[in-house]
Amino acid sequence: MDYFFEKEVENNARGRVEAEEKVTGKAKYSAEYDIPELAHAVMVGSTIAAGRILNIDIANAKEAPGVIDILTHNNRPTVPGIATEEAWKKSRFSLPVFHTDKIYYNEQPIAMVIAETLEDATYAASLVTADYEESEFETNFKEERDSVETIETKEEKGSRENWQNADHIIEREFKIAMEVHNPMEPHATIADWKNGELTLYDKSQNVYGVQGNIAKLFDISENNIRVISEFVGGGFGSGLLVWPNTVVAIMASQHLNRPVKVVLTRPQMFTSVGHRPESWQRFKIGADKSGKFLGCYHQAKHATSSHTGHTDNITGLTWKHYHFPNIKTEQEEIPLNIPKPTWMRGPGDASGAFAIESIVDELCEKLDMDPVEVRLMNLSETDSQGKPWSTNYLNECLKIGAEKIGWNKNRKSKPGELKEGEWNIGYGMAVGFWNAGRQDADASIEMKPNGDIIVRSAMTDIGTGTGTAMQNMAHNFLGIPKNKIAIELGDSDLPYAPSQGGSWGLSSLSGGVAAACKSLKTKLVDLAYGSKFEKGKGNLKLVKLNSDGISMEDDSLEPVSYKSIFDKNNLGVLNVKASSSPREEAKKYGFCSSAAHYVKLKVNKLTGDIKILEMVSVADGGKIINDQAAANQVIGAAIGGIGMALMEKQDIDHNHGRLIGNDLAGYHFPCNADAPIIDVSFIDKPDYNRNPAGAKGLGEVGIIGCAAAITNAIYNATGKRMRDLPVTPDKILMA
Amino acid sequence: MKPFEYSKAENTTSAIKLAGNSSMYISGGTNLIDLMKKHIHEPDKLIDLTDAVSSEITVQENGIRIGAMVRNSTLAEDSLILDKFPLLSRAILKGASPQIRNMASTGGNLLQRTRCPYFYDTALPCNKRIPGSGCGALEGNNRMSAVIGYSNSCVAVHPSDMCVALVALDTKVEILKPDGNTEMINFEDFHRLPGDNPQKDNNLPDGAIITAIEIQNNSFNKNYDYLKLRERESYAFALISVAAALELSGNLIREARLASGGVAHKPWRWKDAENFLKGENATEENFKKAAELAIEKIAPLEDNKFKTEMLKGAIQQSFMNCVTNR
Amino acid sequence: MKTEASNTYSRRFFIKSSSAFTTLAFIPNSVKSFFYQVKEKFFVKKQKIPLSVSINNKEYRLDVDTRTTLLDLLRENIGLTGTKKGCDHGQCGACTVHIDGERRLSCLTLTAMIPGKEITTIEGLAKDGKLHPMQEAFIENDGFQCGYCTPGQIMSAVACVQEGHTGSTEEIKEFMSGNLCRCAAYNGITRAIQKVAP
Repeated sequence: MDYFFEKEVENNARGRVEAEEKVTGKAKYSAEYDIPELAHAVMVGSTIAAGRILNIDIANAKEAPGVIDILTHNNRPTVPGIATEEAWKKSRFSLPVFHTDKIYYNEQPIAMVIAETLEDATYAASLVTADYEESEFETNFKEERDSVETIETKEEKGSRENWQNADHIIEREFKIAMEVHNPMEPHATIADWKNGELTLYDKSQNVYGVQGNIAKLFDISENNIRVISEFVGGGFGSGLLVWPNTVVAIMASQHLNRPVKVVLTRPQMFTSVGHRPESWQRFKIGADKSGKFLGCYHQAKHATSSHTGHTDNITGLTWKHYHFPNIKTEQEEIPLNIPKPTWMRGPGDASGAFAIESIVDELCEKLDMDPVEVRLMNLSETDSQGKPWSTNYLNECLKIGAEKIGWNKNRKSKPGELKEGEWNIGYGMAVGFWNAGRQDADASIEMKPNGDIIVRSAMTDIGTGTGTAMQNMAHNFLGIPKNKIAIELGDSDLPYAPSQGGSWGLSSLSGGVAAACKSLKTKLVDLAYGSKFEKGKGNLKLVKLNSDGISMEDDSLEPVSYKSIFDKNNLGVLNVKASSSPREEAKKYGFCSSAAHYVKLKVNKLTGDIKILEMVSVADGGKIINDQAAANQVIGAAIGGIGMALMEKQDIDHNHGRLIGNDLAGYHFPCNADAPIIDVSFIDKPDYNRNPAGAKGLGEVGIIGCAAAITNAIYNATGKRMRDLPVTPDKILMA
Repeated sequence: MKPFEYSKAENTTSAIKLAGNSSMYISGGTNLIDLMKKHIHEPDKLIDLTDAVSSEITVQENGIRIGAMVRNSTLAEDSLILDKFPLLSRAILKGASPQIRNMASTGGNLLQRTRCPYFYDTALPCNKRIPGSGCGALEGNNRMSAVIGYSNSCVAVHPSDMCVALVALDTKVEILKPDGNTEMINFEDFHRLPGDNPQKDNNLPDGAIITAIEIQNNSFNKNYDYLKLRERESYAFALISVAAALELSGNLIREARLASGGVAHKPWRWKDAENFLKGENATEENFKKAAELAIEKIAPLEDNKFKTEMLKGAIQQSFMNCVTNR
Repeated sequence: MKTEASNTYSRRFFIKSSSAFTTLAFIPNSVKSFFYQVKEKFFVKKQKIPLSVSINNKEYRLDVDTRTTLLDLLRENIGLTGTKKGCDHGQCGACTVHIDGERRLSCLTLTAMIPGKEITTIEGLAKDGKLHPMQEAFIENDGFQCGYCTPGQIMSAVACVQEGHTGSTEEIKEFMSGNLCRCAAYNGITRAIQKVAP
């Protein structure tokens, strides 16, 4: 790259590019497209956790008003990718939906009613019944956990013997409940299969992923599939994979030769599109008298579904942010008769950080040292492969956060010393850390004779501000005013983009946008100046695109208007498209985003009630492309951390092997009153080794470590160590 | 939902006439629509009471009469209520959300059904939903369940916050029976314990309509508190809740009221604790004793043992709040 | 409102079943109750009623299924998809609309019960092409991320200000807690309301 994202972003007074559509209700989410002849479908789930369907009774349902047809494993069209056990294993799709009589978990889809109206479909779905041959099932992670040994995740570094006589050794166990993504928009698919062309309006974080997977499953060409996810009502990981609801919608459309809409009910959101698996960890840490870490031994187990696997890399973080001369990590998954888990915000690391950041707090108390100081002296200077960090400002995050919350001034190191009536006040802190990844991404730009441009990418915007970032980046790379830059995204007809997940969305896309901008400049320079333009000195940097035309910053060439360029070359529009990949040089470095979280809270000693009073997060996300949206991400993640720490848990009735209370009244995530105004700030220093924008992902670091910051604060308030999430008031009282 | 007929009643007499075997009355609908969508209630006919029942709050000789159609938010913000029975207002505002309180009626609040997850999932056993199918919560997940007054048939709790204040305030419920007669029921006798037929939540005769509630004047408008503990700060049902009120003369307790939600099949009065406090001084020590008296008789289940400790703490805290008026 | 296919019972089934029920008088009560259960399930006829409703100052004359909630009417029948379905059970607030100026949940409101009332949805908030100040404030304060709960938040926020529940940050937060936001853009939502509050 020969130019960088150096200029300051022009003040973004009117908020996000899509803001007006979102505040007026014009934004169209997947279930909201008005398609003629649309039929409504409702899925019916199994009522047993394991066994075999003997008979599905659809007779009553078929007689209900408005019913068009009912799909079951007896009459569905064949989907090649899941048609046989062998094909299914090969396709690695999560479930051979409607292609088996086997039941692997409760609420596994066994039928789907398609009707003229939603009311008709919903009522008829309640009339479908099934007879089963039940078999033994297991849903209890706690009971099954001990039956399986953990196995090494990667080769041990050093040896456990090296630190067996360390001055301080602590070993503790940690537990985290099953959590569910629950984006506000339920997953929905409209499938319209006409004349061999399939259009999918699908709630997804990855339109190309859906296209590729559906092509394989149905054995049709990717060219005949268009996936549209223009507005996505949140994801947090639930939209990274293709799920059965998309596949059954396609089956129904194929079967009926009609567009079909499937929207998950909220209870189905708990059983159909993944969750963060319940987990157990044992962490052993050793340190010398000075507070230097000598070694750790981290074991983790988590639940998974018996019919298809999933791994949360819970022990991955252990290798990253602190320097341990000796490390051993082990993991194993416990297969259960539960729906498939998947990646959920900060997958693996959010779980792992709870253990590490809690035990370090405990160690600090033993050392009688300040938790901030101990962390500062143990930060790793290289990544796990020994490569130097390209940029890593976690130390600054730690210091700024401590200053902001008044760590040294207000906090008492001994627990229970700050009181206010029956309330005990406590301070706690922890850090978050995440690989700052980047993937290949393309982008295109279309320019009109008046200088208006449209920047295009298939990348979705799940609320992260992708579109606004694209506009900001294009503005900075080109100079064209923002009001002349339109954005199109979330459509597989647009240039390739990877999934929006793992905090690599913006980082990847910035490469594509930068490359497309460079192509546009090159093309315009060529059209405007031809051979007059001196190449080879990196002087594309001097080229300025303004609202009307092209000019040189050093005035070495005459300005030329877009209109004359287009007229002269007889162009209607100008199109450029470019690809991008991480730079070769990047292989020399380790990349990370990081954050320090500080919490002040109070705990009622009579009732166990917990109130978060202040929360400060300071994050290193490289160059910040959009202050507001970036802060919003970290605020949202921090509040997600409050949820993880204090309330989020999905219960299972193990007598029936069935989730219970799986709706938004039973599963609590934070409401407005649960969170104070969160104080977020950024280091805002670019990392140009990562990408031309210098930005590093922020989606995950905001939640990683948050739960430990809160439980550490609870300890500071009450003297009670809480190692079992979520910490509901009853656990405080009974501890 | 199962298809149903809908008719709007002009008055209570016509409502009773419209009622039939498989009909149900609807007012706010915040619970009934929910239950119909879940196929837990499948009436053939809905009779809309919104125009048929009074939505007035009126002063009477000895107290206040509240029409059964008065919406929760109207009731909570009414100046008469805030002046005479602020405990009621406080309790209502701790329940549900502003939107739901704008819809839910006073009568409907009394009739809302339990939020026990086993009641709500038609694939799980529940004697309240299908008599004889068993109680899923008894041997299952009973974290939210009752700790007193339950039976082997049912361990569900009544979900209302408003009703906890109403039972503490010695309210009366006015009902109109299908035979056209009106009857006043003591609030405490309105809801019932599950016993062997938990499908019945209360003693309202079939086809009868709640027309109003009446609260007698009292002196609990200065020292009162409603404390609700839940898994999130707002918009969640109670783990437990406590309505406490004191009539103080200096530091002397002339009368005390204490009730709880989230503990039983009905809003629960702790009379032993009230009787103990009457005539005692308002001290932390006495509040603690009252709390201990209250929890003496409770018998928690496997997953809700914490409710003992939580109730004890919440009762103390709540009485302390009465004194400091926090 | 879209036309719907007429009720599609099989006539044969109707005749067969009704003949079964005519014999009910002669069989024991226990069996009878079973038959009544069966009857309840089968002999359902979609009930439609003609009515007129006013939404965003526009009159709609409809022949509506009694089961249709206001939310489904808006989203599935008259193309006003700005009002969102997050849970369909009164547990999230995404479907908040104004009914006679009060914030209410459209998912728990039967269309049959709203004639004579004025409904305002997010689409009716902007007047004469000018955004409502609350919509402007949400944009300025970035009071959303994914935008799905946003229409409900804004409708609720407008009512929150009208009700006068904006005395403090805590009061706003409590009185906006009936609108869940999983992105947790609560800082921006709260600040937007503070901006508009008197």
